[in-house]
Amino acid sequence: MPEPIIQTQGLDFYFKDFKALDQVSLNVPRGSIYGFLGPNGAGKTTTIRVLLDLFHPKRDQVRIFGKELLDHREEILGKIGALIENPSIYKHLSGRQNLEVVRKMVGGKKERVDEVLKIVRLVDNADKKAKNYSLGMCQRLGLAAALLTDPELLILDEPTNGLDPSGIIEMRELILRLNKEHGKTIFLSSHILSEIEKLATDVAIIDQGKILYEGKLEGLKNEGNNLQLKVELDQVDTATKVLEKQGFVISEAYHNGLLLSIKTRQEIAEINQLLVASGVQVYQLSSSQENLEAVFLNLTKKLDQ
Amino acid sequence: MNSVTALKRGIGAELYKFRRTFILWFLVLAPAFIPFINLMIFVKKGHELVGPEDNPWERLVQLSIEPANFLFMFFVMIVALFVSSIEHNSNTWKLIYTQPISRLVVYTSKVVVFLLMLLFSLLLFSLFSVLVGLLLKVLMPDLGFDQAFGMSLFFQLAIKVFLATLGYASLQFWMSQHWKNLLLPLGIGIGGWISFLILVQGWKYAEYHPYGFPMLGLGNYKDPAYEWLGELKFIYRSVGLAAVVFVLAGLDMVRKRVV
Repeated sequence: MPEPIIQTQGLDFYFKDFKALDQVSLNVPRGSIYGFLGPNGAGKTTTIRVLLDLFHPKRDQVRIFGKELLDHREEILGKIGALIENPSIYKHLSGRQNLEVVRKMVGGKKERVDEVLKIVRLVDNADKKAKNYSLGMCQRLGLAAALLTDPELLILDEPTNGLDPSGIIEMRELILRLNKEHGKTIFLSSHILSEIEKLATDVAIIDQGKILYEGKLEGLKNEGNNLQLKVELDQVDTATKVLEKQGFVISEAYHNGLLLSIKTRQEIAEINQLLVASGVQVYQLSSSQENLEAVFLNLTKKLDQ
Repeated sequence: MNSVTALKRGIGAELYKFRRTFILWFLVLAPAFIPFINLMIFVKKGHELVGPEDNPWERLVQLSIEPANFLFMFFVMIVALFVSSIEHNSNTWKLIYTQPISRLVVYTSKVVVFLLMLLFSLLLFSLFSVLVGLLLKVLMPDLGFDQAFGMSLFFQLAIKVFLATLGYASLQFWMSQHWKNLLLPLGIGIGGWISFLILVQGWKYAEYHPYGFPMLGLGNYKDPAYEWLGELKFIYRSVGLAAVVFVLAGLDMVRKRVV
């Protein structure tokens, strides 16, 4: 296997006593769109900040482009473009002037500003003040700034957060184009599964600071060999107790039913018997192949139980 | 890329981002404030201020440098807030710290730009003050502004104020960089200054109070034998403190977790 473009090993990170990252090991393949998925507060942004040395890791925990991050910080950052959470934009300057500030820091030709404006389709609004930009335009401007150095690797933290549907589609197309046409590796975090599903070639799932899955997107789908069983019944509390006692994992409880993940069809009969024997009225049992969303929910919820 | 190139880039970017901001106007207009008032005073009441034997330039120096020394304190606090809040308000710390420039260089660029702003405004203030005198020479010939006077005193005093200011300016700068909150550095700054005014009335260590260096360090410039580089102990204290604080603030910014 060729060397990963980002590699973390046993990465721990603390906020005072709170362990925000717990032995995070990532291997991001070159050329991939790598989806970094997890619920809010799972440690996605913390991981990204560590990768960019905004939060300092310990030596030898993070390697990017095959080099130790702390020892080659400037060299590595020169080949990364980053867009982190809410836009970083000087509101009193125009879009073009914002890019000019960054260009002055990183060097490079003046024409590059026009090139990146073209890539993110912001040429027409380049000379408007950034305070009049819509959120979608702000995100695109942020992406343009990230592209100024023509980086090999883009690290994008929730790039579609807060965008309207057309903004989301536009951002998605842009990301795909940057990957396919410009050959950039893209590390993309999101808490929205469908977003990652549409873009990513590889995924990692993080929850409570731990990596629960890392690999191809297809591989994750295969994890979902499980069946999903939906039970409609009357006494949700009793049913939950009875089933959990028998070791079944309940993924969701509604006011009139439960959602469980099961391995075999045999278990459906078992569950039915258990429920009936404990006096619960069962109205309906329906099973289906687990979709990606269920896999995700199962992975991230197992920890709570 | 060597560090000189990096520093040049850092400073270039730093200066560029203040385009179209209020602070640029502030740096030019604030130094014009006292000279403008002085012009008004001399035009209206020049004859009451200057006796027949006096050199009006001496009066002008005094009316310029003393209020300036007082108001400059607030000016420093405001400029320190401006150069930091431009990043705090636009969430751009994470933008500038993910560029391929070391954090130390980014920090140093900010310090340099901050100090240049202070020095620029002080020298501009001296220039405006001299211009007021020259203007009065034309407008009010009978005031006696045609008498000989070493104009360089205006600039010498301004440089002395600048050096004596560095001590507390470094503290204001650090606080403004570290905290997003604007009121905290302002409150501590004003508190520091008022505490000096109280302590100086009786506490024997008041001469070590950083917010007092500019007042204590100016020296008796009214004395004809005054030498601007004569008494320098407050300048040394101020510059020494600034050196220590700027280094500590630099370490703080390099180690800081950037949110």
